[in-house]
This record gives sequence, C-alpha cells and structure tokens, in this order.
Amino acid sequence: MKPVNLGSIRKLLLKCEKPSRYTGGEFGAPAPVWGDFNFCACFPDLYEVGMSNLGIKIVAKSFADRGMCADFCFAPAKDFADGIKEAGVPLYSLALKAPLADFDMLGFSLQYELCYTNMLYMLDLAGIPLTREERRGKKYPLIVAGGPCAVNPEPLADFVDIFFIGDGESVDADVAGIYTKHGGATREFYKEISALDGVYVPALMTPVHEDGKLVRFDGENKVKKALVSDLDGAIYPDKFAVPNCESVHDRAVIEVMRGCYRGCRFCQAGFIYRPVRKRSVNTLAKQACALIKNTGYGEVSLNSLSTGDYGRLPELISALKKQLPPEVTLALPSLRVDSFEGDFAQDARKTSLTFAPEAGTQRLRDVINKDITEDEILNAAKSAFNAGYSAVKLYFMIGLPTETYADLDGICEICRKIQVLYSSEKRKKALRISVSSATFVPKPFTPFQWEKQATEEEVKEKQDYLLKHLPRGVKLSWSAYYPSFLEAALARGDRRLGKVILSAYKNGCIFDGWDNFFNADGWKKAFDDCGICGVEYVRERSTDELLPWDFIDVFVDKKFLAAERGRAYEAKVTGSCLDGCKGCGMQKVCPAARGEYDSL
Amino acid sequence: MIAFKYTKTDGAEFISHLDLLRHIDRTLRRAGIEVEYSQGFHKHPRIFMGNPLALGVRSVSEYCTVDTRFDGNFKEAFNACAPGGVRCLDFKVTADNPNFAESIKACRYEAEGIKDFDVDEILSKESIIITDMRGRTVDIRPRICSVERRDGKLVFTLYCGEKNLRPDLFCEYLSSLYGGEAAYILKTDSFGGTVF
Repeated sequence: MKPVNLGSIRKLLLKCEKPSRYTGGEFGAPAPVWGDFNFCACFPDLYEVGMSNLGIKIVAKSFADRGMCADFCFAPAKDFADGIKEAGVPLYSLALKAPLADFDMLGFSLQYELCYTNMLYMLDLAGIPLTREERRGKKYPLIVAGGPCAVNPEPLADFVDIFFIGDGESVDADVAGIYTKHGGATREFYKEISALDGVYVPALMTPVHEDGKLVRFDGENKVKKALVSDLDGAIYPDKFAVPNCESVHDRAVIEVMRGCYRGCRFCQAGFIYRPVRKRSVNTLAKQACALIKNTGYGEVSLNSLSTGDYGRLPELISALKKQLPPEVTLALPSLRVDSFEGDFAQDARKTSLTFAPEAGTQRLRDVINKDITEDEILNAAKSAFNAGYSAVKLYFMIGLPTETYADLDGICEICRKIQVLYSSEKRKKALRISVSSATFVPKPFTPFQWEKQATEEEVKEKQDYLLKHLPRGVKLSWSAYYPSFLEAALARGDRRLGKVILSAYKNGCIFDGWDNFFNADGWKKAFDDCGICGVEYVRERSTDELLPWDFIDVFVDKKFLAAERGRAYEAKVTGSCLDGCKGCGMQKVCPAARGEYDSL
Repeated sequence: MIAFKYTKTDGAEFISHLDLLRHIDRTLRRAGIEVEYSQGFHKHPRIFMGNPLALGVRSVSEYCTVDTRFDGNFKEAFNACAPGGVRCLDFKVTADNPNFAESIKACRYEAEGIKDFDVDEILSKESIIITDMRGRTVDIRPRICSVERRDGKLVFTLYCGEKNLRPDLFCEYLSSLYGGEAAYILKTDSFGGTVF
C-alpha cells in the first residue's frame, strides 16, 4: 500500500470547500495500522453526515478489536472529487490516506435509498469497477454493504459481493477472519460465510422472473438477520473521532435501546430492529462519561427509536446529571409526545419542540398504529409552552393508506387548537408553528409493504389543500415528489433496478438525498433507457405475490404483517409490546415476549 | 486568565476559524481545564482568539486567551488533549485579557516557490492596487511592512487588524507579477505589545 501524499493535492485542498473533510488527523480518531486484513468503513455521503453515524464506528471497532486495520472514508463533495480525478489521485481513506483499492474489504453503510448512486461514485473515484461481473476473478477489495437498507439488498445486488443483514457488531469481522483463513474470496470462502446468520451472497442466489413477475429464488435462498441479543455487553466505542469541521450531530451519543415497542405500521425501523434490547443505566452512564472525557463534547444524545419507552429514563437522567460535568447538556431526540414531561426538557435555549403525530385524525393515527391521542399532543404542547417553548414543529405524512381530506382537515384542526392553547395565557413571544408534510413511502418488512404510493397528482392536490386550509401563521414545508417516488421504487426494488442505478450514476446522478443536487432528469432518462417502468415499483403489491425481499428473514412473520395490514384497514390499534406480546413472530428471541420489560 | 501561544500546522491549517474555536473549547474540556462562562442569556465559554488565519496558511505564532483559574502546567495539559497540528508552545498567567485580536499589529510570514524578484522594487512602489476576494479594489502597499529574502525563502511582514492583508492574497499578487507559486506559507512571528 502506497499512501496518497497530501502534498500533491495541496493546491486542491486550498481551493475546495471545507478541506478539513479530507485531511484526517481528528482528535480521538483511531490510529489504524496497515496489516494482514484491512477494512475501510465507507459512508456514501459527506464527511459531516458520515462522521455523525454511529453504526460505522461500531463496525470499525469490531474489526480493530480483533487486531485488524479499520479506517474510514466518506463521499467527497463534487469539487474535491473533480480535483482528485484531474490530478489522477484515487479516493483514499481518512487516517492512513490509503487508496481504497488497496483494502481487503470496503464496507458501505446504507442508511437511506437515495445514497445508492454515491456508493458507485465512491467506487468509481477509487478506480474500482462498479459491478461484480467486471471485478470477477480480479484482485479487488471485497465490496460489502450493511445498514437498514440492506434488508432489501436486491437493487444493489449487481454491485455488492456480500450484504450484511441485521446487527453489525460481529458478523462483518467474522467474515474477515474466514477470508483470511481461506486466503481470499474463494468458492469455499463464499460457501462457508453464506451459512452464517446475517450474510447474503448475491452471487449464490438468482431471482427468477417469468412474464415480468418474480416467481422464485434459485440457490442459497434463506438468509437470517444477525442478532445481538446482549446489547448491554455489546461492543461500543469509548471514544469518537471529533470531526475537524462541524458535523450534523456534533456530540457524544449513547445508544439507550435498539428496537421499538410501538410497531407504527409505516415504520421500517420499528420492525427490522426488533426485538427491543436495552443497555443498563450503569453501562450507559459509564459510556457517556468516557465519551465526554475522551471527546470534550458539551452534549450527550440519548439515542434510540423511542427513548421515552426506556423504563428507567428518570434513573438514567439523574445518573447522567450526577456523573457528567455540570455544563454538559443532555439531548433526548425521539421522545414520543405521550412520554414528554416538561422537566425532561433541557433548560438551555428554550425554543422549538418537534412532535410527529404523522396523521391528522384519530382514525388515521389508529390506522397507522400511532396510538397517541390529540389530548396527549395538546397536553405535551401545553407543558412545553409552560416550560418556555414558543415554537412547535409538527411532522405529518401525506398519502398514507385510507387517507381522505377529513384527515387533512385534522392537521389544520390540530394547528388551530395549538394556537388557541398558546394564546389562552399571556406569553412573551409569538407562537411559531411549522408543519412538515412528507410523502408516505411504503417500506419492506412493514404492514404497509404491499401498499401503493400516492401519485404525484394526488400528493400535489393534498399539498395545495393544506396550503389553502392551514390556519394563518402556520408555515408549511413539503418534500418534492420525485425523490420520494424514487425512494419508494428503490426501497421495494428488485435486482432489475441495478442497471437503472448504474445508468442514473452514468447520467451524473450523485447525492440524490440532497435537494440541491437531485437530478430528476438523470433518473427519468435512466428508467427510460433501461426500458423499466418506475411506476411499476410503487404500485400496490398483491398479497400472494412473491416480494423481492421475501428470502430475507428479519424474524417478523409475514402473516403478522398481513394481519396488521388488515387491522389498519379496520382502524384498529394494536398498540405497544409493553401492553403484552402481539405475537409478531420473534417470541423466541424477544425479552419483552417473556415479560422482561425492565430486565436492565 | 491564561494567554497561550500555539501552532496550526500539519493539517490543522485546513481547519476553519470557527471550527478551531470549537476544538479549543473541547481540548480544554478534555484536559480538565475549567473555563469560565459568560453570564449572558446565551452562555458561552470565555475563550478569546486572535485574528482568524487564512485557510491553508500554517502558523507557529497563534495566540489565544482563556478565562480560567487553572493553576497546573497548562502547556502539558493542553497538548495531551489537542488535535493534531494544534500545539501549545508557551503560556502565561495574566490578570487582564491581552486582547490579541486588537493588540497584534503585524505578522511575519515565510513562503517558498515564488520566482526570484527584486524585493526593493516592491517596496519602492507608492501604491499597489489589487482586487480582493470580494471583488473590491484596494491599495495594499500601506499594508506591507517589509519584504526580504532570507536563506532562499521569501520573508515578509504584513499589518493586521484594520490594515489587514492576507498573506495568501499577497503571495498571489507576487505570483501574478513574477511567476511561480507560494506552496507553503508559514506565519512565524506576531508583533504587538502583548506577545511573548
């Protein structure tokens, strides 16, 4: 391995935006040593986004703890990418400045569908052929991918050698060990790893289509997700690299729980991260103190899908307040409205509070199993206002199954009631309400995985309706339709979409998740050139149809999902696992199913 | 209060001024050096930086003041926890804020890579009009203190503060006139009543 000499691109660093994204040397960054097996965690988005991601830190640590080299790489912005291309410098890793092509394994973290082209962009900048086919039989790094999007790996199956499904604490590094044992990516290597939980090798499985319909999966067609049952004892970094330029979540993070009890029917994370596993107050306090000491951050974020459901939250908060330096603040994202209490809110900078009712009426909230009531929302808002907050952000979805205009009226009504509530007492500041309406995207492994996505006309009409009917003074923001459509197509895509993704990349589509870079024409042309109808992918799927991700087992029963869908149509709430087991299919591995809600 | 002199080299020259302030705040917290906070509505740590250094210019002569009652070896404690390229060189305990942003009047830099030229010719000019980064035309001659050549290196001193001139801008001007390119600009000294 011959590292890239930064001196050779000094001029580029001087003229590109935020050069400290590309220089490494962060305080607390692991100091990898090039060795027998070299892994690079690749995040297909900018440094500021990737440096905030916890998953890649955990995965990298699992390699480092086994004495392997683990470095990082992020997608460079276009100005820097053009510069290194022109200078003939390949994309390199952050700490060692090692060309990506020299690593044994490049691990891509797939956090959202709209980063798929960026994976190709990074491979291309590294001088690595994009498809498995082009790389076959040649000496290139293993291209692997994991993260939430990997639960439907098929759209990327043309590009990725190995997918990791589920928790990444151990299986990724296990595979590295087996690779070393076999002396490379031999047939025996693939055979051995494909038997592991959490490993999917696309080369060993062929989806068979007849008359344009998926009919069966040939080959190795059973893949179970990897599951870490003891989260409390699972590896966790005790230090974070402190980013050189401000990143989106520039703070220490502890992962309080993984998984969510609630089972909101649109929420993929709520199903694929099941069962709920927790860390103990003791472990969390220890981790938070170590991180603050080693990073110097002034804030700790208590992360999980629903931190308010952590039974010992008051204990945890008081332990943290006692043990952390006094100026360190706590951030509690993902608090549900029904678990919001005024005194949980931090005293500093009281401004805005975000609620996500998702739907405007009780009926529609029942449909999506978001079992919070309007009273709970209003009560939470009231305690927030009394605690000094003067701004509220409300998140809703447009295009949910069974939605009617009455549900949109409901959104307007909630805003009106919040306004009345606010003005019922004399307050110093004017109230600000902003409503954000996202387009519903049906996702695999949810009860809504069969649903269609609303059409552009429907969404547009509903947005216009909201614009017209929201009370004065409420700010409405909405997402553009086409990116949501693309997200839906890719999320429920199959292997045939690989060529569309490749073609879109060749049409110049990168950073699709960024409004200012989104290139709708490039994508539309890609679908057309490949003769693939994008709309076909966002249609309603029939329940007897084989779904492209059906060979993956995330331990949630497909029958359970179908039953949940049925209950959605009857507007029946299933509720949280905390009120008793709902029998989703993972009773064998779920602590809550055994009644252990508070085991830690 | 503690005033300290530090470096910004080895990659740290690409860290922006605002990010550097955050880094210093975090370095102090990691080092266990407790900083006083302002008493206003938006509390912030009382860290006072010198003038911002142009991105990409290295320096062994940066100054900063921290309001703290820390009485240990500041240099050792700071350096044990600082990011790469940021190194405390010296420090002193002071009763008053030296206000480096105001009190440093000029800085000396060195650069390599610009083609040889007659330094006296530059200094004999009465005015030098250039277009700055915001497209304004400015006379930079009054902002130039001295230009000389030492051991094959170009050494020049520019004013700071009101009459501030960015060293990279100055080098660009010289390159446009004489050819070559300033590859490594380094701030070597600061001048003003408060430096040490």
